[in-house]
Amino acid sequence: MVVVLFGVSVLMFSILMSFSPERRAVAYATSAKQIKEIPILVAKYGLDDPYHIQYIRWITQIFKGNFGYSTVASSPTLDAIIKYLPTTIELNLFSMPIIITLGIWLGTIAGIHRDTFIDHTTRIAAIVGWSLPTFLFALILLMIFYSQFQLFPPEVISDHIDDFISDNPDKFIQYTGMYVIDGLLNRNFEVVADALKHLVLPVVTQVTVVIAILVRVMRSSMLEEISKDYVITAKAKGVDINTIHQKHVKKNALLPAITISGWLVCLSIEGSVTVEFIFNRAGLGLLLVKAATQLDIPVVLAISLLLGLIYVVANLIIDVLYAVIDPRIRLN
Amino acid sequence: MTHILDIKDLVTNFYTYEGVVKALNKVSFHVNHGSTFGLVGESGCGKSVTVRSIMQIVQSPGVIEGGEIHFSPDSDNGETGIDLLKQTERFMQDLRGNKISMIFQEPNAALNPIMTIGEQIAESYVFHRKNQIIEKILGLDRTGENLFPKVSANPLFLPLYHLALHRPDAFLLELIKKVPFLRNWDRAVLHTAIEKSVELLATLGIPNPDKIVHQYPHNLSGGMKQRVVIAIALASEPVLLIADEATSNLDVTVQAQILDLLKDLKKKNIISSILLITHDLGVVNETCDRVGVMYAGNLCEVGKVTDLFENPKHPYTKALLDSVPKIRQIGDLKSIAGNVPNLVNPPLGCRFHPRCGHAMAKCKEVFPEMTIVDDDHEVACYLYH
Repeated sequence: MVVVLFGVSVLMFSILMSFSPERRAVAYATSAKQIKEIPILVAKYGLDDPYHIQYIRWITQIFKGNFGYSTVASSPTLDAIIKYLPTTIELNLFSMPIIITLGIWLGTIAGIHRDTFIDHTTRIAAIVGWSLPTFLFALILLMIFYSQFQLFPPEVISDHIDDFISDNPDKFIQYTGMYVIDGLLNRNFEVVADALKHLVLPVVTQVTVVIAILVRVMRSSMLEEISKDYVITAKAKGVDINTIHQKHVKKNALLPAITISGWLVCLSIEGSVTVEFIFNRAGLGLLLVKAATQLDIPVVLAISLLLGLIYVVANLIIDVLYAVIDPRIRLN
Repeated sequence: MTHILDIKDLVTNFYTYEGVVKALNKVSFHVNHGSTFGLVGESGCGKSVTVRSIMQIVQSPGVIEGGEIHFSPDSDNGETGIDLLKQTERFMQDLRGNKISMIFQEPNAALNPIMTIGEQIAESYVFHRKNQIIEKILGLDRTGENLFPKVSANPLFLPLYHLALHRPDAFLLELIKKVPFLRNWDRAVLHTAIEKSVELLATLGIPNPDKIVHQYPHNLSGGMKQRVVIAIALASEPVLLIADEATSNLDVTVQAQILDLLKDLKKKNIISSILLITHDLGVVNETCDRVGVMYAGNLCEVGKVTDLFENPKHPYTKALLDSVPKIRQIGDLKSIAGNVPNLVNPPLGCRFHPRCGHAMAKCKEVFPEMTIVDDDHEVACYLYH
């Protein structure tokens, strides 16, 4: 786990080090006058020191909890991430359970009802969702449901709610930064409803784009398991077909689906970049896009590390789940 | 002697992309009460399809397209029995694993890798003896026989057990199966069944049955797994046991143990009749009373083991017997020239004629019907018409 994170940090650092010291120094320049002082900046921050010295300097600061100063957010990087993270988590908190439960369910019924109308419909829908570019699909949704029907607006929360929250810090306490959860905790259901309204389109976009692969994996895994010999044993035992599908086949078929699900969680958090960008949600993805286009190195490095951490943790959870379901890989 | 199983003109086809595979072409034979019937033939000749058709567990794209399968579980009953092909799926579910059971070829694949041995054997009881188990749990068992061990149930759920006993299709039971935490209210049934499985494994001579029921298939050796598969088949005390190549993939020593076990079970009257499928003629000679020889979806010859082995009639049976290595082998081992036909386009007439030394003109046109050549000895060949 530590090794993986170390690898991620070295890799990201190397990529960003491939910019010349001057290019990196420009990020700190705010006026024309400062442009002339770039060589001084380079010397001051040690930007032309050898690679390993700069890496060690950076990583020691990280261990001290100092992720550097973000020029994009005009605040320390850590503060910026803490401010933007809840929006991303909120989005994934809604989309991931839908993706996993709906994906596994659709894959299961498609597998059971192979080559029937249900199977063909799910498969076509999955392929269409998978092949649609995220930005295109999101824009179409916005066009229909926002411009045409004024139903589901972009951004995270309506302006009047936002004003209300910032004006009444004592009436509305921001526990998590996620409006839906905070709204529930404060029993302010107007906030909850408004936040949910803003969540519908991003969640739909994310589910449509990400779910396809899970449906396909679950379906093929079901088909593979249905043709196994233990299914015949169960049939010969007199077990009814529903129990065979739900108890015998599905549990075995879940294993590949779980692997994919963990991977999808990571993919979906990364994929939030496009969704957040288009729906103008102030989340991690939006921050990353801004930081990357303006060469805000501390933010890019910190977010990459965070994504690496999420990957590692997700894989750990998958391994644990695997052991719960499959006795063959359980350690004694 | 009455027939426990009487199969007439069974036809099963598989609809594949290459065409219709005519796996069974009017197969007819019968199994006597209390006897062991052997079905032999090389791989792909339709032995497994025959028994899977009997159980109606032929896998897609296979379809049973014709024939009759009369099954009469009671030996003193003079009637022809019930035609299994005319029964509903629900009826067959109750029959499978209850009156007719099956042992499988590959014990590694035949067990579900992620369920414990106990759970897998218990399923037989849960599906076929549920009412008796519930009566036992409720203390209502009138017979006085100790069929099942006593397991105490959560007293809160006792009314549910009463309901399940008297109205198993009640809506409330359907509903409660969908509620998390409550859906496992009938745990006691499973526990009773697992306790019973321990007893069963012990009677099959498996050491440490109480530990084994909590283990998974991958913890056991091949021979042990095969015993577990047999235990699953025997759980509900079937009247007919079908052993589909039950010993083919085992070591010779384990094979002998399993065959001894089957013979022993038959001697003790735990199972009455066995339908044994094998390609090993030695096993047939040792265990069976009657035998049927299959070739490419057809039954060529049926008869008593002694008659058929000493006095084979069908050219294929003769060739098959010749191809078995003897201890005092004289000359080279004979093999049958040619290949097994493709069943998508089987040869017209007798399916063996392209490889037969005695083939006549009519062998290539019309399939020879079964003719009686001797007492309880039938053969499908024009040489004896």
